[in-house]
Amino acid sequence: MKHNLGKILKLFIALSFVLVFAEDFTYSFHLDKQDPYLKEPVILTLDLNQSNHDIVLMFNFDLQKNDDYFFQRLDTEETDSHHNTQIHYVYLIYPLKSGEINISFDLMKKVTTDDSVAYSFSGDRDNVKGLVTTDIKITLPPLPLNVKKLPQGTALVGDFTLTHKFKKNKAEAYEPVPFEVKIEGSGYPPLLDNLLPKDVKFTVFTENPIVQSTHSRQGTQSSVLYPMALSGDNSFDLSPITIKAFNPKTMKSYELTVPEQHFTISKVDVNTLVDRTDYPKPLESDWSWLGSLFSYLVIFAAGYLTAISIKWKKKILLHTNDPFKEKIENCNDERSLLQLLMATESKKFVKSIEKLEKGLYGNGKINFKQVKQEILEKL
Amino acid sequence: MNEKIIQLKQELSKAVIGQETMIEGLLIGLLSDGHILIEGVPGLAKTTTINALAKALGLDFKRIQFTPDLLPSDIIGAQIYNPQDHSFSIKKGPLFTNLLLADEINRAPAKVQSALLEVMQERQVTIADETFKIDSPFLVMATQNPIEQEGVYALPEAQLDRFMMKLVVHHNSEEEELEIMRKGATKSFKEVEKVLNLEELQNLQRELEKIHIDKELEQYIIQLISSTRDPAKFGLGNIAQDIMFGVSPRASIDLYKAAKAKAFLRGNTFVTPADIGYVIHDVFRHRIVLSYEARAKGINTDEIISKIIETLPIP
Repeated sequence: MKHNLGKILKLFIALSFVLVFAEDFTYSFHLDKQDPYLKEPVILTLDLNQSNHDIVLMFNFDLQKNDDYFFQRLDTEETDSHHNTQIHYVYLIYPLKSGEINISFDLMKKVTTDDSVAYSFSGDRDNVKGLVTTDIKITLPPLPLNVKKLPQGTALVGDFTLTHKFKKNKAEAYEPVPFEVKIEGSGYPPLLDNLLPKDVKFTVFTENPIVQSTHSRQGTQSSVLYPMALSGDNSFDLSPITIKAFNPKTMKSYELTVPEQHFTISKVDVNTLVDRTDYPKPLESDWSWLGSLFSYLVIFAAGYLTAISIKWKKKILLHTNDPFKEKIENCNDERSLLQLLMATESKKFVKSIEKLEKGLYGNGKINFKQVKQEILEKL
Repeated sequence: MNEKIIQLKQELSKAVIGQETMIEGLLIGLLSDGHILIEGVPGLAKTTTINALAKALGLDFKRIQFTPDLLPSDIIGAQIYNPQDHSFSIKKGPLFTNLLLADEINRAPAKVQSALLEVMQERQVTIADETFKIDSPFLVMATQNPIEQEGVYALPEAQLDRFMMKLVVHHNSEEEELEIMRKGATKSFKEVEKVLNLEELQNLQRELEKIHIDKELEQYIIQLISSTRDPAKFGLGNIAQDIMFGVSPRASIDLYKAAKAKAFLRGNTFVTPADIGYVIHDVFRHRIVLSYEARAKGINTDEIISKIIETLPIP
């Protein structure tokens, strides 16, 4: 009895209304439910009120992210006064785990002065001036929630309706049959991993579901469309689909169903199919790769032989006699040799030219063969 | 070889290592009153060489860096208005010197290049309505970047013809490079001293005039000149397609003078065919205008000149 009273008191304090005085400000929480069902919407309101009006006070507040719950901020109202800040936050929370969970908060108190605010406002788009604040992290105690379990096998929580649509139930083999299932209503967004049961008789092609959700104080209004297509080579039956849902407002379970459907599949002539590469399977072996391989080998051989031929050509050129050398060897007299040296790099053969000049225009005698040999050695 | 020439070469070798072609060309130009065009990559001691030559001869030297925004008045000078006495005075440009280095001449537009024409040929400058004579000796050594480089204007044929010789300068040999490196690093290049005065230079020029050239060689020069204009007549039908225009009469004068100067520099008193052979490439190189076909085939003027020498029999 003593324990029960303590629990009741704790829940009352923690879940219904909490007013706490902190340094420079007060804050208060309010939860509209104390013990929600799993995935049942809970509205949390928080009020932050400045109590020390001598300073300029600002706040950064948000709920901490946690796998135990999902939250969405619905509204923020703030007074436009730097010395009397009053902020009112409204959050929508969905508990995602049954049992006791804690809603945690991040709160930062930002203290500054009028001068700092004035300075930060003096900037413009091209000359931004930052607001200097003293940031103090405030540790708020977490809010506990006692989350109730859902009835066994419940997939959706809320008040939903299900509609489905087939374009046709007669098709040719492998022709896709479009199939849509739409779940809409109020509650936790009705997202399901496997809507259709697995069946070897047909193939299911799926797309990502198209989700439209609007959060409000009344909960979440959702519409989820599951676009799919079914395809098979023989007639098949789509087993009935049953989704168990729970409405926390009425605290009653109900079922959303898609009745059994029969699809009549007619056979088609394989030759009329557009995709004849994979279906039907090739009747003859494909040897085209051999042709490709042969052409690659020919190209490789051509490249290799070209490279070798350039090497051979260079070798042949090296062994070919220098034409200038040949011309020197063919010179029979001093005059023709001098003429040849003048025509080429005369500065390179200065000494030989001087000797030839002596022989031709001076009184000296020269050994023509020796001069010729000297030139050949220089080359 | 003339003693003064030996002295001059020795003095130049204090500042310039290698580059004999350039030094020889400059001396030929100086002795025969010609201008020299040098083509080569930067850093081949072109400025150093002409500077050293000016010092060794005790002559004035000026350098003009040709740029695309250079104006003719920047080089020849201009008439300047004096507001105090409402008169005009002449401000002479850097052309008024003995040795002029026109650096990267083909980076300037045609109007600036043309401003050099009158000075190079007539040795006089006209500013406003006044004409000024340029002191002798006057040598223009112009450098040009290969036409393949970016931002260069091709020199017009008329101006190219004003240059006695076009020298193609290459990098030094490995041995010369080693010496340059050592001397450059230790700053042991010696100061060039004056070894020749103006009178001695004029004496050398007078001596050059005494160099004998045989009539047969004169005839040989004429044949060389004519063969560039009408190759087929001289058995050079195979190169007729490659030449658009042959060399001008200035080429024959310059070849004649350059061959004599070469003989003089070699210490001879007469010209031999070899002297002509030594200078003909430099004299003809920039004067033969190649046809489109020849340029497309990658033929250059040096190859044409070599074929001409090879074909025409020497006296």
